[in-house]
Amino acid sequence: MGLAVILIGIQFFQPLRNQSDEVPATHIEKVYSVPQNVNAILAQSCYDCHSNNTSYPWYSRIQPGAWYLAEHIKKGKEELNFSEFGEYSARKQRSKLRAMSGQIKDGEMPLSSYTLIHRNAILSEEDKQILMKWFGAMEDSIK
Amino acid sequence: MKNLTLSIIAVTMAFITVSCNQVSNKNEQSSNDTSDVSQEQTVSQPNGGDTIAAPGVSETPNGQQTTATEQEKKFSIAPIVTDYLSLKNALVSDNDKAAASAGKKLLATLNKVDLKAIPADKHKQYMEIADDAKEHAEHINENVGNIHHQREHLAVLGEGLKDLIELFGTTQTLYQNHCPMFNDGKGAVWFSENKEIKNPYYGSKMMTCGKVEKTITGK
Ligand SMILES: [Cu+2]
Repeated sequence: MGLAVILIGIQFFQPLRNQSDEVPATHIEKVYSVPQNVNAILAQSCYDCHSNNTSYPWYSRIQPGAWYLAEHIKKGKEELNFSEFGEYSARKQRSKLRAMSGQIKDGEMPLSSYTLIHRNAILSEEDKQILMKWFGAMEDSIK
Repeated sequence: MKNLTLSIIAVTMAFITVSCNQVSNKNEQSSNDTSDVSQEQTVSQPNGGDTIAAPGVSETPNGQQTTATEQEKKFSIAPIVTDYLSLKNALVSDNDKAAASAGKKLLATLNKVDLKAIPADKHKQYMEIADDAKEHAEHINENVGNIHHQREHLAVLGEGLKDLIELFGTTQTLYQNHCPMFNDGKGAVWFSENKEIKNPYYGSKMMTCGKVEKTITGK
């Protein structure tokens, strides 16, 4: 009974949402020309946790999941934020591109805890190749 | 209902899943901060004789007017080099735990650097290298059990160190080595204190893979 009260109680404490209508000038799409197919994969599999605009699932309103999600997105953005990519130094951009490529190759990103629910965020072999190829080419092009 | 239960289970599981890259924001240095620091530096220059360079380097004896060139001599990347080398050596011996603690030590060293001792014209470049290096050091620290990932970070650290050496020189003689295989055959650089090749990217699997590219004499 006590637990039920707590569970209902915490539903009233919702964290701030990570949502924004406009794409900032520092967004990777604005700083570099991102091919359509790459962009579609990024939006589908990466932007929820690595940009200033998350498309929230219905259960994101249910506590304590909402807190977990907020914390998760906060950490994801600290690590890499596509909305702020243009603010990074050239060195950091290259570093991030290399890291993204490595994480995708090793299957470490997107996190399995995320794809467990977001089945459509799972990268196909083809998606991985497209991303890795583009990340690699970008890394070499930034001086 | 079945879906709801599933989702709740999934969310709960996600709670206990620890991911790579749980990195705090404390090292992030915005460009604003950087310009603040350089302003501060300009302001403090007239009485700058009392600034201490990197740890281990002593003050000028007379403590008087320090010119930019003198300051340049005072700033040394030696503590960074030392930590890099012990990290590199941990990975040569396939020791992920030792690498993790070496990463932690390197992060602490980078955080301790007296930014005021860095010549103004090299400040921005230093900051960019250091900010990036801190992230790599942190990830290496967090990735016990994933030595491959630690090595990926070492490769980028090596590139940063190369630029640091170009900027500030080294007091210790170092060998710049090249591993042709790492990073999907794109190759990777590493530095060592000895001429003998001991590859930190493959460890015991391919200990002697690589070549000395350059000897950098310490000054
Ligand atoms: Cu990492």
